[in-house]
Amino acid sequence: MSQIALFGIIASRMINVEGIDYFRYYVSGLSIMTLYSAAIFIGFDIYEEADHGVFEYLLSLPVSRRQLVLGRSIGGGLRSFIYVGPLIAVSLYVIGSINPLNFLVALFALFLFSFGVSGMSITIAVMIKSSDRFDIFMGVLDALIVRLSTAMYPLAIVQSANPLYGGVASFNPITFAADLFRWGTGLETIITLDNPLIPLLGVIAFFAVFTFVGVIIYERRIEGGGWQ
Amino acid sequence: MKAILHILEHDLRNFFRYKWWLVGLISMNLADLFIMAIVYNRMISSDVAKQITSYFNFFAPGLTVTGLFASAFMIGREINMERRREIHHYMLSLPMTRLELAIGRVLSGGLRGMIYMSPLLLTCFVFLGFPTVAQLLMILIVLFFLAIGISGLSIAIAVSTSSLEKFITARGLVYYTLFFCSSVFYPLSLIQDLGREGKFPAILVNLAEINPLSNASDMIRSFLLGTPPFSPNMILSVIVFSTIFTLVAAFAYIKIIERT
Repeated sequence: MSQIALFGIIASRMINVEGIDYFRYYVSGLSIMTLYSAAIFIGFDIYEEADHGVFEYLLSLPVSRRQLVLGRSIGGGLRSFIYVGPLIAVSLYVIGSINPLNFLVALFALFLFSFGVSGMSITIAVMIKSSDRFDIFMGVLDALIVRLSTAMYPLAIVQSANPLYGGVASFNPITFAADLFRWGTGLETIITLDNPLIPLLGVIAFFAVFTFVGVIIYERRIEGGGWQ
Repeated sequence: MKAILHILEHDLRNFFRYKWWLVGLISMNLADLFIMAIVYNRMISSDVAKQITSYFNFFAPGLTVTGLFASAFMIGREINMERRREIHHYMLSLPMTRLELAIGRVLSGGLRGMIYMSPLLLTCFVFLGFPTVAQLLMILIVLFFLAIGISGLSIAIAVSTSSLEKFITARGLVYYTLFFCSSVFYPLSLIQDLGREGKFPAILVNLAEINPLSNASDMIRSFLLGTPPFSPNMILSVIVFSTIFTLVAAFAYIKIIERT
């Protein structure tokens, strides 16, 4: 909230991009950045559970590994949505307009996005197996994935600043989620990708890959005490 | 004096245990500079561009100060952890006075901030140009005072909060208020304009003006970029901040950890 009230207001004074109200642009992007950061937290929980012996308990439950990973990804995604809910509500208030049908589609895509981020966090956590290294890795990944997206600036500007940055931003799940959220809230004029179907397919692919890969890696890494 | 040196050694050894974490943090800071600042460069309005010429150049000194702040604040997390795990009883049993212990902790927090900040300051010099020897000395002295003040602020918060969650919440509040209500990310004139137009509370405008992060960033800018003009108030603000929080931290550290 302080980022909206302080950074958002002051930065929008500093920035001038034709056809864009930067304050509304930033506020909508901030919701996605926060959703991403909140969904990442499930990875830290896995280390906490391992430290306290809860991991073994979860493995002993009468559910398949697949159900366990899927359940954790969805649980992680859902709770990050609850956490970011008030911020999304403030964003909608600030943006001031909403296209109900588009917004429902965008909301569905954001759910898939947060499940995908949780799945990615779980996958990386079980691969790295060290909370310190995980902390560092996710910090660097966060710095790169958020900054090389359209959460804070339009794609055309990123591309003009550096074509390599623009290339990465075009295939970034945060770009897809931010564009869909802006499309759903009626900020069509500042959508940076031409067709909303492209980011929607991108988010679905992101979710599918990390859930599928997450299940395989989770199964391989934890069996036979592999976790320790 | 020897006791203080022992504390400095202890805290510096602890600091270097997290070397990969520090590398990660520096990478994040550099991503801010080499991605965010470069893209923002393309978006700044013509009015602001007249004042700062390039956002990259404007932001580099601000980033140095944010790096200093984040690393000098780390000592608070360790002291909070020591308090929760009751390691402070061991620290209190060491053959040194409480004052030496408190001063050692504040100084080591400041030194750690300076060590972490050095590659960021060097990056700043490489891209913006090197200052004169006198200016370099002044920059280092002012940043050291700032680091001590931040370390003191962090210790005062750490010993006053009983749980990690409370410490992290208080840290977040201080971080966001001091970072965003300063000239680290944007020129101070923007905040003052918003205040004059009644779109920003006067208290936040005043905070941004006396904020040591604003003054330290602007001092480096004044030496390296020539704008804003240098003012002795920039140094005064940092010294006052540092003196207040060093004294508060020493007092809080001595009183609170003896009580618990």
